[in-house]
Amino acid sequence: MLLALAWKNIWRNKKRSLIIIAAIAFGLWGGLFSDAVMMGSVESMVETAISRDLSHIQIHKTDYEQDKDIRNFIPAGIDVIRDVKQLGEVAGVSGRTIIYGMAASPTSSFGVKINSIEPRYAKQVTNLDQQIIDGDYFASERRNQILIGKKLGQRLNLKLRSKVVLSFQNLEGNIAYIACRVTGIYKTNSTPFDEANVFVQQADLFRILETEPIVHEIAIRLQNAEVLDPVVVRLKSNYPDLQIERWDELAPELAYLSETTAIYSYFFVAIILFALLFGITNTMLMSVVDRIRELGMLMAIGMKKGRVFAMILLETIMLSLTGGIAGTIISVATIAYYGHSGIDLSAIATSLESWGASTMLYPFLPVVMYIVMTVMILFTANIAALMPAWKAIRLVPSEAIRNY
Amino acid sequence: MSLIELKNLQKIYNTTAVPVHAVNGVSLKIEKKEFTAIVGPSGSGKTTLLNIVGGLDKPTEGEVCIDGRNIVTISDSKLIDYRLHNIGFVFQAYNLIPVFTALENVEFIMLLQGLEKKKREERAKELLVNVGLEDRINARPAELSGGQQQRVAVARALASHPSFVLADEPTANLDSESAESLLDLMESLNEQYEMTFIFSTHDVRVMNRARRIIRLVDGKIAEDKHRDRKN
Repeated sequence: MLLALAWKNIWRNKKRSLIIIAAIAFGLWGGLFSDAVMMGSVESMVETAISRDLSHIQIHKTDYEQDKDIRNFIPAGIDVIRDVKQLGEVAGVSGRTIIYGMAASPTSSFGVKINSIEPRYAKQVTNLDQQIIDGDYFASERRNQILIGKKLGQRLNLKLRSKVVLSFQNLEGNIAYIACRVTGIYKTNSTPFDEANVFVQQADLFRILETEPIVHEIAIRLQNAEVLDPVVVRLKSNYPDLQIERWDELAPELAYLSETTAIYSYFFVAIILFALLFGITNTMLMSVVDRIRELGMLMAIGMKKGRVFAMILLETIMLSLTGGIAGTIISVATIAYYGHSGIDLSAIATSLESWGASTMLYPFLPVVMYIVMTVMILFTANIAALMPAWKAIRLVPSEAIRNY
Repeated sequence: MSLIELKNLQKIYNTTAVPVHAVNGVSLKIEKKEFTAIVGPSGSGKTTLLNIVGGLDKPTEGEVCIDGRNIVTISDSKLIDYRLHNIGFVFQAYNLIPVFTALENVEFIMLLQGLEKKKREERAKELLVNVGLEDRINARPAELSGGQQQRVAVARALASHPSFVLADEPTANLDSESAESLLDLMESLNEQYEMTFIFSTHDVRVMNRARRIIRLVDGKIAEDKHRDRKN
């Protein structure tokens, strides 16, 4: 009955209550949708980076990060690849032979990272095959094919079927050359990546190097990201002499961005709720002032101060939660809609691509955010109720009944 | 033992430069089943006295003994409980909860007493029937006339099984017909339930019905007259 009274009291002044409910609802909607856009943007950057080249896990020789020499390859790397493929959680494994060298066209040259891959395995780990905008992804049997990024193509004035000469240090420390024909031009969401990476087939490189297959990097794509921790633990136990790294260790800036975005999201909603707190307090204070005589009567007939306090608190919580629920419904609907259809940011594509973000943004908000937000609303309502409830219980019944 | 015994009651307000003696040395006894009116001009101390008897205000000096217990010494929080279980209130402006129906208004005080829903509802309905509002049980205060609202207030005052009912100017906002009808009701409740009623009033209609009239002037009892009821 106290609950019913609290609920009915909210609707005594419909206009006043609806205004504050709308303020809470739209304030939250603005906050949550902005959070979803931020989180969707970061998630997109992470997913893009994982799919582009990062993968979930990478294996290197322990000191590879410090010394990226061609001779610093993974000992028995092909055996490691074969063993890792046996793990049930693994969706794909790609061994990469990586050499840093120069790409030269008839007009210019540029320092590049030469990624030598086995195309059919590489496409199980990354999505380069889907980023081809001209030509194909190693579709023919021809030798010495090369995939270049659109940006590198522009820099070196290369087109499809143009000739590129790659020069690099071979295993003996001598300069080696390989003349390639551009058979595909790709474009990812990251301009710097497109400018610095070329892809050739391992068979072509091994032929020039006159070596057995060697790999510097083993990229692993998992069935889903949830199994990342147990797989990393198992790999570290199986290969204690190799460097096993998760995506967030390989790209700490992305992990940092992901974590700080989550914190900023809560902070953002907290600021909105803090601003709303004053509105809620004001509404409840007006509600108490409107009912001074009635509150005096309730205390006169025997309603304890604790119950009066609880009633005001309940009213504030109900008012805030009504706004909160309305705001959540609007937010869920909006986020679901744009999460499906996406927000087209192609108008600012250039700046987005410079830091690896997709031009299609899919807002996303984890369920935990809604739960935390509900707790934050309840907390705000409790704080907002303090002053009005305190005012109510400080009333002297005889004065309240007679003077108001 | 008297139901209510006031001993040398003083209430001094020091809010102005000159202290105001709202109640000045009042001593009296009220027995069970009395139908008593405290009368007097405005500012004579009627309402202050009623508030002190009802535990809504504390005297500056003196004792208020109800069933032998001095309520002046009871702490504020216990006094709320005491009022809930022992005193029924009827206010001049009805003071019903506007968002509740008549039934819920009567039920509410029993909720505060911790009575279970079924018992609350049964007693509230019985009381509303007794005050002649059986067909207005589900009406909200705004849908009731002044007289009907005051009847709900009377039913609410009786709902907690109080020792006595204090009514502060209960007819002040009512037309003649409603006032007479309300007084008929209170008289019949006084007879039927042996309920003690104490009014503060300067309404002649109430004075004509009261069996005891205590006249206050400047906070002192100027006259205390017992009489038979007029027919």
